[in-house]
Amino acid sequence: MKTNVGSGDRGITSLLSGERVPKSHARVEACGEVDELASVLGACAAALSPAHAALQQEIQGVQSDLLHIGAWLATSPDSPTRQMLRTISPDRIREMEDAIDRLEGELAPLQSFVLPGGHTTAAWAHIARTVCRRAERRVQSLGTDAGEAAGESSGGILAYLNRLSTYLFALARYCNKLHGVPEATWKG
Amino acid sequence: MKTEPAAPFTTRLLDRSRLSEKAFQIELDRPSGFQFLPGQSITIVKESVQRDYSLACAPDSARLTLCVRHVPHGLLSPFLAAAPLGTSFSFTGPHGYFLFRQSPRPAVFVATGAGVAPFFSMVSAGITGFTMLHGARTADELYYEKHLRAASARYVPCLSEGSVPGCFMGRVSDWAREHLSPQAYDFYLCGSREMIRDVTLLVDERFPGSLVLTEIFH
Repeated sequence: MKTNVGSGDRGITSLLSGERVPKSHARVEACGEVDELASVLGACAAALSPAHAALQQEIQGVQSDLLHIGAWLATSPDSPTRQMLRTISPDRIREMEDAIDRLEGELAPLQSFVLPGGHTTAAWAHIARTVCRRAERRVQSLGTDAGEAAGESSGGILAYLNRLSTYLFALARYCNKLHGVPEATWKG
Repeated sequence: MKTEPAAPFTTRLLDRSRLSEKAFQIELDRPSGFQFLPGQSITIVKESVQRDYSLACAPDSARLTLCVRHVPHGLLSPFLAAAPLGTSFSFTGPHGYFLFRQSPRPAVFVATGAGVAPFFSMVSAGITGFTMLHGARTADELYYEKHLRAASARYVPCLSEGSVPGCFMGRVSDWAREHLSPQAYDFYLCGSREMIRDVTLLVDERFPGSLVLTEIFH
């Protein structure tokens, strides 16, 4: 795959469906948030040692999902290109729920609010969680603006991002446990 | 949304013919189960090297045809230029969204060099009535000209060298700037990065409301 260079120098870019839109367009904004999320997850995975290759792989699976989501968001709803794009399947969302259960099963029950931070990997996971929530808000408002209903017609994206935020919170806590770093909690 | 890689297929080189001094066409055995849409590409994989090539054949063709620009010190084209017929290799695909769609706007196909391949595939599938801006250095590099001319409503060969009767001398973007009436179109651009940049910027200037679908070939 080769990348286009220079046709966006004047602040206009192309959607995957071919429309030329300003780079401040709501669809481009939503893509940008998802891209940022994938990048922050990359930092989290990169900070894990090779001993945690399975967890790195799980994070890369999420990054791959986010590329598909980006393609979906970069395509206008009435474009035939939409028919060719993968949506998020209910099975994938169930996999995410299973991963949340697996991580939470390793953790002590929450007694208080957790202060984001701790080990570097946990700090990245917390940042990813907040970016994920922002991406979710952008996708939700894109759906409202573009007349796309949540749920099925948004390709399961909202449900996926909602689960992913929960997963990332569990991941952050798990990363602290994995590295023996005690969680800082809110003292009120 | 599993992260499955594109299905790998194994194929064999069946035939090779020269298109010009700089390009050649190869025909590959079509693996069972491989389906594609006109405008899509495959990725040929040879050891650690991967290269994308648009399919230049009809979707129901018995063989898969690729149009290859010969890069003498390239990583894959010298292999494809020299490999004995019968050589096996693998590819993944089909890839891409460079697909023709019905639209109330007139279609303008713009190709340079080997970037003409997906348009030949579309024409082979019966697509007609478009404007074709076909850019090349010289007339012998206007690959598939006869078929494209026959299927198009208007065929404009644009050459950057020499002077050939019936050809516009200059870039495809120059022709579009000078002759294409200002309105919204569906532009399909396949070719060099420079051509795609020039035409896309021209679209922003002169043809607002157009769609721009692109595929880059070096």
